[in-house]
Amino acid sequence: MRHQLSILPLLVRMYVKSQMEYRGAFWLDRLAQILSYGAVLLGMWILLQKFDLLGGWNWPELALLFSFQLLAYALGASVSFTQLRDLEDLVRLGTLDALLTKPINTWAYLIFSGLNVGYAGHIALAIPVLIWALMAAGVQWSLGTVLFFAGSLLSATLVTGAVITMIGATAMIWVRSNHLFSIFFGFWELTRYPINIFPTGIQAVLLTVVPLGYISAVPVAVLLGKPVPLLGDFAGLAALLAGPIIALLAVAHWRYALSRYQGAGG
Amino acid sequence: MSAYAAFVRSGFLTSFAYRNDVWANIFGKLVQVFARVAIWLAVYAGATMVDGISIQDMITYALLGGVVMGATRYDRIVRHVGNALKTGDVAIWLLKPVHYPLYLLAIEAGASAYTFLLAVVPTIVIVALVYGMYPPTSLFHGVIFIAFCALSFLIHFLCAAIFGILAFWLMTVFSLEWLLQSLITLLSGMLIPFWFFPEPFGTIAAHQPLAWLVYYPSAVWLGRFDIPQTLFYFGLGLAWTVLLAFVLALLWRRAANRITVQGG
Repeated sequence: MRHQLSILPLLVRMYVKSQMEYRGAFWLDRLAQILSYGAVLLGMWILLQKFDLLGGWNWPELALLFSFQLLAYALGASVSFTQLRDLEDLVRLGTLDALLTKPINTWAYLIFSGLNVGYAGHIALAIPVLIWALMAAGVQWSLGTVLFFAGSLLSATLVTGAVITMIGATAMIWVRSNHLFSIFFGFWELTRYPINIFPTGIQAVLLTVVPLGYISAVPVAVLLGKPVPLLGDFAGLAALLAGPIIALLAVAHWRYALSRYQGAGG
Repeated sequence: MSAYAAFVRSGFLTSFAYRNDVWANIFGKLVQVFARVAIWLAVYAGATMVDGISIQDMITYALLGGVVMGATRYDRIVRHVGNALKTGDVAIWLLKPVHYPLYLLAIEAGASAYTFLLAVVPTIVIVALVYGMYPPTSLFHGVIFIAFCALSFLIHFLCAAIFGILAFWLMTVFSLEWLLQSLITLLSGMLIPFWFFPEPFGTIAAHQPLAWLVYYPSAVWLGRFDIPQTLFYFGLGLAWTVLLAFVLALLWRRAANRITVQGG
């Protein structure tokens, strides 16, 4: 076990080194991503210049929602997205079989040998916006809110990573999983906006089947003392518990998918 | 010419092979269009009119945005060039009696037609039935809307292909794709129509080529311009198309000259 753990930092170091081989391209990619998310944020600002409120949320509150979502997503996706998106190819090409014979946990190997430092761009944009928004949105700070903020951010990170892991793992059963990712990103875009603006059906989906409501709208609404539809007073607790619960589900699902894996021809 | 027709067909049929993707696509689009309508309902917050634009106008605008932007995918075009460059396949296209940018156009036309028929049309019908949608202001506006859609497809393709070909110099398509995404998000009018932009940014945005992707087709449908104005903006869009086509042809010629294929 200790031996296995000591390998992980080595895997990360090797991957980061390979990414940094093309340093210019790496930072150009990050800049392009910052501009892209910046464009979405700028769009929101233009809208709020005209309309003042979106579903009862003002500009600093929406900026808080946007940056919280971007940060939680970047942290969660760095330990899941590219690695599990590519799992489909590993299954199709049979490369996964070779990974299964390695004397290390397959999930740990997959995640840490591809730990995506490319999310540095997301984080570089999210943190300054988050700090500004936390000050401008008038959060009532107390020890309770500080703990809730940290706990719900951690929970949101877990939700992101767990949902992506569950989608990616289906490739071991169905060979394909990429169409599920396009559904995921459809819903993911909605989490930049307050959940109360959507029809009840979409709200219900975001709080249950595709639980992305917990990566931004629910925790940020609780932090700002805004009502959360469907969950009501339970929202705070739900935001904190969603991460650990969905992560456990993801572990069970990963084990199940791995047990069903039979290889895809070859 | 018949070769390109075959590429259009092949683009269409290749998409047909991935039917799961189409269902996922319809579902993803449905969620997106619903979301956009929800955003406009939320910002209007019960008001019927803002700056002379009614909420029903904005719902129609959001749906039309789905129609004109739903089928063509700049990321697919950019990645297509990127993959050809990475694998060295691009060298093969230099040997064939086919103009590579035209081949790209043909493939994308086929794939777009497929997505349009099987994903965009059903999505729009469903959302229009739920929220209601304005018909075009007049027969003229309805007919010229179709011409504007064709212009939208061409400019969309040309911009994406230009960004793709730039990879011959930058050797990475990743950043080019994200850069184009940021421009399209803000400058196509997809998220927010330019009449809600603060001036002078609204006027500036309305004259750059990406405005023809979503803003003009939708604004024409809604009757925001009278007949002479509509024709003027169509002409301006056409001029942008010619200019972009010229830029693409020039870039492709330069790129073909400087290409080095490693390995194979």
